[in-house]
Amino acid sequence: MSVTSVPQSLTPSAVSRARDEVSAKKASIPWSIWLMASGIAMGLTGGSWDFAWHMSIGRERFWTLPHMMVQSAALFVAVASIHQIVTARDRETTVGVFGLRAPAGSFLALWGSVAMIASAPFDNWWHNAYGLDVQVATPPHGLLSIGFFATQVGAMTLLASLIHRSTGALRARMVRLLLAIGSISVVLMTVLIMPATVRMYMHSAVCYLAVALVIPIVMIAVGQASLHKWGCTMIGLGYTALGLAAEWLWPLVPARPKLGPVYHDITHLIPLQFPLLLIVPAVVADVILQRTGSRSAWLKALCVGPAFVLSYLAAQWPFASFLNTPAARNWIFGTGYFSYFDPAGFQYDPYQFRQVEHTASAFAITLAWAFVASILTTRVGLGWGSWMRRVQR
Amino acid sequence: MKRPLHCAAFIFIALLLFSSPLLAHVGSADVYYEGDAGPYHLFVTVKLPPVIPGIAEMQVRSATPGVESIQTVLLRLTGPGSKLPSAPDLAQRSKVDPQFFVSNLWFMEYGALQVRIEARGTKGTGSLAVPVASFPRQSLPMSPWFRVLGIVILLALTVSIVPIIGGVVREATVAPGEVPGPHNRRRARTVMAFTLIATAGLLYGNRTLWTREAATYDRSVELLKPRRVITSLDGNRLVLRLASPLLLPIAGRGKVTREIRMADVIPDHGHLMHLFLVGGPGMSRLWHLHPERAGETFTQRLPAMDGGQYRLFAEIVDKDGFPWTLVGEVGLPQLAGEAPAGDDSQWQGTPSSPSSPELDSALLPDGARLIWEKPGGGLKANVPTSFRFRVEGKDGKPATLEPYMGMAAHMIVMCSDFSVFAHLHPSGSVPMAALDIAQAGLFAPSSGAMPAMGAMAHVPEQLPSSFAIPYGVPHPGRYRLVVQIKRSGQVQTAAFDTLVQ
Repeated sequence: MSVTSVPQSLTPSAVSRARDEVSAKKASIPWSIWLMASGIAMGLTGGSWDFAWHMSIGRERFWTLPHMMVQSAALFVAVASIHQIVTARDRETTVGVFGLRAPAGSFLALWGSVAMIASAPFDNWWHNAYGLDVQVATPPHGLLSIGFFATQVGAMTLLASLIHRSTGALRARMVRLLLAIGSISVVLMTVLIMPATVRMYMHSAVCYLAVALVIPIVMIAVGQASLHKWGCTMIGLGYTALGLAAEWLWPLVPARPKLGPVYHDITHLIPLQFPLLLIVPAVVADVILQRTGSRSAWLKALCVGPAFVLSYLAAQWPFASFLNTPAARNWIFGTGYFSYFDPAGFQYDPYQFRQVEHTASAFAITLAWAFVASILTTRVGLGWGSWMRRVQR
Repeated sequence: MKRPLHCAAFIFIALLLFSSPLLAHVGSADVYYEGDAGPYHLFVTVKLPPVIPGIAEMQVRSATPGVESIQTVLLRLTGPGSKLPSAPDLAQRSKVDPQFFVSNLWFMEYGALQVRIEARGTKGTGSLAVPVASFPRQSLPMSPWFRVLGIVILLALTVSIVPIIGGVVREATVAPGEVPGPHNRRRARTVMAFTLIATAGLLYGNRTLWTREAATYDRSVELLKPRRVITSLDGNRLVLRLASPLLLPIAGRGKVTREIRMADVIPDHGHLMHLFLVGGPGMSRLWHLHPERAGETFTQRLPAMDGGQYRLFAEIVDKDGFPWTLVGEVGLPQLAGEAPAGDDSQWQGTPSSPSSPELDSALLPDGARLIWEKPGGGLKANVPTSFRFRVEGKDGKPATLEPYMGMAAHMIVMCSDFSVFAHLHPSGSVPMAALDIAQAGLFAPSSGAMPAMGAMAHVPEQLPSSFAIPYGVPHPGRYRLVVQIKRSGQVQTAAFDTLVQ
């Protein structure tokens, strides 16, 4: 693993003191960090499973196994955070909130876990009121997603502070953990923008606007914070691996709809679609960031943002065309999977693109907004990444 | 779960001996059905949830002993979704009455659905299909304490994230052992302000989303209420036109709807439309007519009628088997014309009033009597009840009946305030058209099921003197039951007034 140098903003004395402290006291990642990371991984698994459950079996009650997993994930993070808050003794490496002192990430993660748990009764009410099937953009899902994201931001902040206070193999392991959580964050972001990025919209500019609005923030921030030369690429690979694992593994689990009417013969869990080709813009972003080196953040954003969108467009557009062909209707690409309640093939052709922008000018304008958005979100990502590289508490 | 099951079993045992179903109609959503699942004669009540998605309760009682288990599945009535069953729900068996079963099924979609029931027992296995019109009647209420809890949680999360972000921004980048400088503090304040604004924006956005979703749902509820028709009179010709298009909302698809054209209407026991005109003081006059389709309208040449204001209830079934009830009012002048002929019929009786006697016998035009074998203890709202009748000739002996539009009888149930209007048949409270579709699907070659004895059977020319119609009156009030039978080629009508507790 190649790790870039520590930013100049850290004073050598502070860094060496903190590193000595961590190296001396802890030879391994604290268990509470592992607990938090496990919670986040469980949240991802539970969320992915929940989608598959909704699509294959049906949400016949609130306490389904995936729901329990997601709520357990929040509890894991909460326990880890509370432990960190309760056991924090050192005023020098903690921040103060509500009269308590703890690592900054602990407070964020605790807030996130509470938000996740708090979303549960409202999610239950919402489904009972407005529908049991998969609906991503609902207020309770929004609260759950914000909470889950906060747990990830908290964990990444915590790891960032520890990375800067550690050396050697421990530091490398923490960097890997940070990149893993960054990958999970990108998965979460792609789920949030899924209504605009499903296959049928991949030849519409709105798909690329949606990606530009959220993905660069997380990918570039964590890539930069990891100090890894290929940070964005690693995150892109992590996201792709997680997406493929879900797409290839869930169908191995037998399942049958418990709710009806049933439009497709379901015999196994139905996964979400093939992951987006974010690996391409991730590599492009890393290359440009390496070449722009110490240039100003805005200049980097100006270069990386549009390149991110263009490279993604260049990869996803033709790939989407391929996905709509019979050659992609197999376990590898998974375009033959449909949820039990989806009238695909009866009420609409699932292998046709839908044009959100009905004129060429509307398409051009939306794409232009995607470029503008990508510059801004890249700048935000760079700023956040730079901040995480400076986090010490 | 056990106690309601036992109570329901008792009610069933006491009151439900024979049955048949009813349409969605007005103010009456639950389905009551009687039919054969192979060797087993079953009585089925489908208690529909007021909110969809919601859980419907299926009560099944077998009049044939030997049923050991009942399984239910929900399918669409026609098209995609009508072929593939979900995992069946195994009904709970009553410990009090081993022939009484209760099953729960989630209803998620609007429109014409069907419940497939499979009965297994000592006589083998038999299947039954019950068409069900699924539609939301109200939105899910939120209890005050839940609302308060939501506000408290959201406020707590909103208020707490601001100082957390502030603390993080102020101190997280400060080197160990050092204190935050003015720059950090200033930046923390700025970020806190931004966080507060962003959180408020999120809350506002969520509220907007919530409100929009609620409005979409409420629109679906409105679209599936009985629809109004506009009437016009051209001589004796009554023209009925929809006040607004019939739109079937699609659950979970926002404002997406499917328009039902009059060309989509299919015959329901021989007629495209069953029109009821109820007039006079105290529901004392009733016409049961069958208008013809004319493009997007229906027209009916009216028979001789007294002038006055009439309530109008028209029932149609679309090609997917979903019943629509159209309502309206029409003011008619005195009309000269011919007497109703064919399946058209009329009735005139005494007005229903709070002082009306609750008779259990009514004189028919030819001197015969229609006798209502009322259940002891009177009628209770929301209780499956078997409305049992028998016809005695002038000599007091049982009189035979002739099929009236293919059935032994028709019964119209009206509440005094017209909040309930239900048109029932001994052959099924569900629309016959929907029942035919369900039976055709059940006994399709691919289903493997064998038709039960009597299912879809040819109706004999002479029917027994007694019949029963199952129904659960939806709420307390004063009701008029109008029963129509056919004897000696003539449609004969009688009415009964009753108070439902």
